[in-house]
Amino acid sequence: MSPPIAVFLTEEGTVHALDDTCTHQDASLAAGWVEDCRVECPLHESTFSLTTGEVDQPPAKRGVRAHQVTVRDGEVLVELSTAAPKLPPGVEVA
Amino acid sequence: MSLAEEGHLLIIGAGLAGYHTARQVRAQGHAGPITILGAEAHPAYDRPALSKAFLCGTTDLCDLYLDDPSDPLDARWVRSDAVTALSTEPLGVQTASGTFYLGDAVVIATGAEARRLGGHAIRSVEDAAALRAAPLAGARVAVIGGGFLALETAATCTTRGAGSVTVIAGEDLPGLRRLGRPVARALHSLHEQHGVRFTGAARALGVTRAPGDPQADQVVTLSDGRGIPADVVISAIGASPATEWLSRSALALDPGTQAVLADDTGFTGIPGVWTAGDCALWSAQRTGLRPVGHWQETVDQAQALAAALLGGSPSPMQEPYLWSDQHHVTIQAAGMLALADEVQVLAGSIEGNDLLVSYLRGGTEIGILGMNRLREVVRWRKSRRIRPAVLAA
Ligand SMILES: Cc1cc2nc3c(=O)[nH]c(=O)nc-3n(C[C@H](O)[C@H](O)[C@H](O)COP(=O)(O)OP(=O)(O)OC[C@H]3O[C@@H](n4cnc5c(N)ncnc54)[C@H](O)[C@@H]3O)c2cc1C
Ligand code: FES
Repeated sequence: MSPPIAVFLTEEGTVHALDDTCTHQDASLAAGWVEDCRVECPLHESTFSLTTGEVDQPPAKRGVRAHQVTVRDGEVLVELSTAAPKLPPGVEVA
Repeated sequence: MSLAEEGHLLIIGAGLAGYHTARQVRAQGHAGPITILGAEAHPAYDRPALSKAFLCGTTDLCDLYLDDPSDPLDARWVRSDAVTALSTEPLGVQTASGTFYLGDAVVIATGAEARRLGGHAIRSVEDAAALRAAPLAGARVAVIGGGFLALETAATCTTRGAGSVTVIAGEDLPGLRRLGRPVARALHSLHEQHGVRFTGAARALGVTRAPGDPQADQVVTLSDGRGIPADVVISAIGASPATEWLSRSALALDPGTQAVLADDTGFTGIPGVWTAGDCALWSAQRTGLRPVGHWQETVDQAQALAAALLGGSPSPMQEPYLWSDQHHVTIQAAGMLALADEVQVLAGSIEGNDLLVSYLRGGTEIGILGMNRLREVVRWRKSRRIRPAVLAA
């Protein structure tokens, strides 16, 4: 089972896919703010790299998984990461 | 007078303000030693979950630690030793264990203590653990207070299977004075949908037990003469700055709240002494421009204080921001809500738990509040963002 995945389109036109759930609490990164190839969580201050999923500052301590994306003929193909998802405490994959 | 590169920074209070001050000072390049003195026995932890996930039982204390064990802060933490006095000559502090710590700069970050009317309160992890261990299933719960902490706690008690939850908010609708009628009606509706009851404008006077019978219910007595019987009583009536230990010091305390007074960089006016977080009252908070007692305010203050302490370029404060979680609805507010003279509903409905409200002063928008409106609130905050470069120009 995989947790929800968010797909991002940047102003520069690149497409990225990350696990949608912030690692701090149960917030959807798809509702966050995209800038400089990072997404800022809509609740607190942590931002995640759209390419690697790595986190820059608290309150989140761990990054999210980044998934491989290919755009072919306008279709977005996402290849799921094989790493274990890093969900916030108390949240499980439904 | 800024802190020298090799200077010793002494931080009093191992909470959110203490941790973020140390983190910012390091991030902004300070090389000298940092010591953080805390009264609690635990590593520094984050409080917001205490009324939410921790109280529900879905997270534990180790999930709430502020410092990251895999990338720890370069600082010395001293636990279980409360600071009892500040000395300005020489600059340093005295602790309960009898140790005197010298510092080249002192940051006072002792936070606040819950005001208690009776029953449970929630400020520390011990408070929250006591309530978590209380038999809430089927119980009659009375929550005293009408702020977000009271409402979150009421919501969590319903999740925990309380038989009934009664909130004594002291106003006709919860949040009416601070947030305006549409939001207060929406909060009232949200909680009623989950079976929470409100007692209206009457205020709680005290908590008593039936005399001579220790097993008897507690009763919350109200200003209109009513008594609310309850098995579990929770007070969430605000917090007072933890500054008792400073009452005989040279520092200026606010006559009303006893908070440590400071300018808008956290400087107290006494050389080398600074303050941030819930124990502090910066100038903009004293004049009502900025709120007191919120997470983001504390984090932003720590950043601004660190910049000023190290003599770097000033770090601007962003629009105030706060959030709350109640019955799985995320409530976020940004801007100077307290200054508003008009409230406009932009979208959503009272019953739909999706209200988006604009706060205006003299016809100009100065704030926003959303219920499950994460995108709209983040966009508003970003559109009002102050960048350091703009300030320097
Ligand atoms: C239950 C709860 C839920 C919250 N939820 C939210 C929320 O959803 N959204 C939001 O915006 N804000 C929320 N807040 C507010 C936010 O957590 C506070 O603004 C923040 O904790 C303030 O940080 P602080 O470091 O100033 O104080 P604290 O976190 O209280 O830390 C102060 C520390 O100093 C220590 N100390 C006190 N006196 C001494 C002494 N003499 N010597 C040594 N150490 C001492 C204390 O033991 C404590 O560890 C919540 C607060 C609580 C209590
Ligand atoms: S929920 Fe994402 S940073 Fe807190």
